[in-house]
Amino acid sequence: MKKHTITAILCAAVALIAAAIAGTSFLEARKQTPIVKGPGVSEIKMLSDWFPGLKGSPGDTEVYILRGAKPGASMLVLGGTHPNEPSGHLAAVMLIERAQLPSGTLYVIPRANASGFTHNDAQEGAPQKFTIQTPAGPRVFRYGSRATNPIHQWPDPNVYIHASSGQTLSGSETRNLNRGYPGRPDGTLTERICYGIVQLIKQENITITVDLHEASPEYPVINAIVAHPKAMSLASDTVLGLEMQDIAIRLEPSPVNLRGLTHRELGDFTDTLPVLMETANASQGRLRGRTDEALVLTGKDKWYVRAARLGRLYVPYDEKGHPLDERVGRHLAGIQELAFSWTLSHEDQPLEFEGLPSYDDLMTDGLGAWLNPPSAPQS
Amino acid sequence: MSPEFLLFILMVGVFAAGCFLLKWPVAASMLVAATAGALAGGLQDPIRHLVEGTFGYVDTILTIATAMMFMMGFRDSGALEALTAVVVKRFHKVPSLLMILLTLVIMVPGMITGSSTASVLTAGAVVAPMFFVMGMSKVDAGALISLAAILGMIAPPVNIPVMIIGGGIDMPYVGFEIPLLLLTIPLAIVFALWFGWRKVRGVDQAKVVESLDFSTLQQYGAIKLFAPIVVVLVLMVLEKAFPRVLSLGMPLIFLLGTALTWIAGKRFDILQSARKAMEDALPVLGILVGVGMLIQVMTATGVRGFIVVNALSVPQELLLVMIAISIPLFGAISAFGAASVLGVPFMLALLGRDQIITAASLSLIAALGDFMPPTALAAIFAAKVVGIEKYGTILKKLLVPALLIIAVALTFILFSRQIRALY
Amino acid sequence: MLYIYLAILAMVLGLTLWVLFSTKKPSLQVTAAMVMVPLLLRLLLIK
Repeated sequence: MKKHTITAILCAAVALIAAAIAGTSFLEARKQTPIVKGPGVSEIKMLSDWFPGLKGSPGDTEVYILRGAKPGASMLVLGGTHPNEPSGHLAAVMLIERAQLPSGTLYVIPRANASGFTHNDAQEGAPQKFTIQTPAGPRVFRYGSRATNPIHQWPDPNVYIHASSGQTLSGSETRNLNRGYPGRPDGTLTERICYGIVQLIKQENITITVDLHEASPEYPVINAIVAHPKAMSLASDTVLGLEMQDIAIRLEPSPVNLRGLTHRELGDFTDTLPVLMETANASQGRLRGRTDEALVLTGKDKWYVRAARLGRLYVPYDEKGHPLDERVGRHLAGIQELAFSWTLSHEDQPLEFEGLPSYDDLMTDGLGAWLNPPSAPQS
Repeated sequence: MSPEFLLFILMVGVFAAGCFLLKWPVAASMLVAATAGALAGGLQDPIRHLVEGTFGYVDTILTIATAMMFMMGFRDSGALEALTAVVVKRFHKVPSLLMILLTLVIMVPGMITGSSTASVLTAGAVVAPMFFVMGMSKVDAGALISLAAILGMIAPPVNIPVMIIGGGIDMPYVGFEIPLLLLTIPLAIVFALWFGWRKVRGVDQAKVVESLDFSTLQQYGAIKLFAPIVVVLVLMVLEKAFPRVLSLGMPLIFLLGTALTWIAGKRFDILQSARKAMEDALPVLGILVGVGMLIQVMTATGVRGFIVVNALSVPQELLLVMIAISIPLFGAISAFGAASVLGVPFMLALLGRDQIITAASLSLIAALGDFMPPTALAAIFAAKVVGIEKYGTILKKLLVPALLIIAVALTFILFSRQIRALY
Repeated sequence: MLYIYLAILAMVLGLTLWVLFSTKKPSLQVTAAMVMVPLLLRLLLIK
């Protein structure tokens, strides 16, 4: 054999080994970790039950339904619209595992972009999972990508054009679930997921829709609730209620010229009252230091502390960081306060929650104390 | 000294040692530097990180590979030479106008696709021989082509760095046409005259026309011979104009063009031509893969945060200086990467100015990253197109124009509100 | 469109392998092997 053939075989072999090791890890990240159904869950359906076009696709995802003892208003909670914003996913999981409803109905989609949970963004250096210790043992959760997995939707166009408005965005935004609403039945996978969620909202007459997000600490819309004009009154009552619990939160109107987002399109295209909530997540920011499970869980980051001193951030940031317990606590407090504010002004259509930890409970006990044990019967 | 700083020094050191002392290829030096960073930084799954980083460029790899095949086919079919003959013959009496027109022509593919590589490898490759026959040196031609290419990438309608910056602060890509034209077209005219007209005005263009070879053109006819480039440009324009109807993507468009070159002119071995194209493209594709690994490791180990926060640490009055230095420097890794990693934080630090003008200006500075070695996509491909082995000679010529570009961009940022009031 | 792009990708991967096994320059072989990895994993729809 010639010398250059031998070196070629060697190079190809090393490349194949690297591809095999990395490939195994990528395939492992596709396996979803279990959510342990709580006592309040009455039914688990799939999004394709409302839009059959999603059946069998990587965009189909579980919808947990918690029916109250008495009828009332309904709420849809979207966790994991962006799977790299873990507090939204965890808050949704907590609702599924803990919430019970004296009245009204709760729909929870913990992995709104299920495809986004199956991979990580290139060049973001993110961990593939994070682990929360519970008294009965560790619970593992996926840390995913902001966008649909390219193996489920590829290639991206050069420029993404939002279907109903014609707005143009960078091509990779075509896989961003929160730029695709109201969606299209014959569109891309991402647009079809949007369409499926819109069908659920329409067919079930969802009263309030809450989309749970996180933002990087240098981003202006943070620790905030963003509301469509028709949800503004509900959102402002909620902000007042949260302030009474010493939870500072900003109220932002949904920008008219930014299209494809839940708080804009769900309000324009359906009868639901849409709001979106943001907490502070260092692990998705551009200023963050070492990116690992610890950063996801604690939010402790020396570069963010320094950036805060330089006045570059929109949230206070010190050595204590912003732990996931706090971020999930904010979301859960916001959801409960939304329901409370709604019920105060709509006594004939109540929506009430029980069994959930308060913000202070989570700050004292940590998430692990309130999650179900991993050994419980799995959903 | 922070551990991130030490890691940064380690990676830069390993890269430099590999490149300059051991004379390894750039891509391999990056691989070793990224591996060293991943191991020293204690990443748990280093191979997963190294491989994952490369996926930021899969689409770019396809675009570059197919664009190179198209360029090679267009040349091998004899069309390139024939096109030069036609254009120079028609416009040789007004070289200043010809130079400006040719510069704008180089910009077109970049304007439509948002990629400087597309500009250099398509229109740049077509125009280069015209520059030569008119009397420009290879280095001047290479410099003008790479400048026109990055201006094309910034000029509207498609500007990906602005979209990236806008995506980071939720600003839609609307209303950028005028500021981007104001930023790019005057600069293009200045560079066309500076590198082009100044060099060719003394040359006797009548003699040049006599030396042109029209034989291929006569044999196949202009319509058939130039069909591939016309089809590629028409498809690019149609895709931009009717994106809902036509969404082929650049790789497919280039591939269709390549297929046409095979039947349009002189017969050539298309497989060998494609292999040669790939051989020429591979060093750059390897650099992209290496860059992807480096960015991933820098992000995971916190080196990226160290760079960004230090760039933001300067007092407000020095912020513009920091922008002028750090964004092109980070562009050594990738122009788009610089727009995302530094462009977004700087944009947030500059809130209060006119956002559209500011983002447009930042994108122009980010585009300079395509001149910054070791990636230097615009310069490397321009060197290939004009037939220069080492692109360093072109880079030297680009220094003053790059400073001019930075000066224009900073002026736009400083006077963003006043400029906005003009239109 | 996915399958068209997978075909384009397969072609580029094929050409990369051709260069890898036909060139006599070790530096180009290393580079080709590096480029091979993401192309292969995308072609197999693993990543």
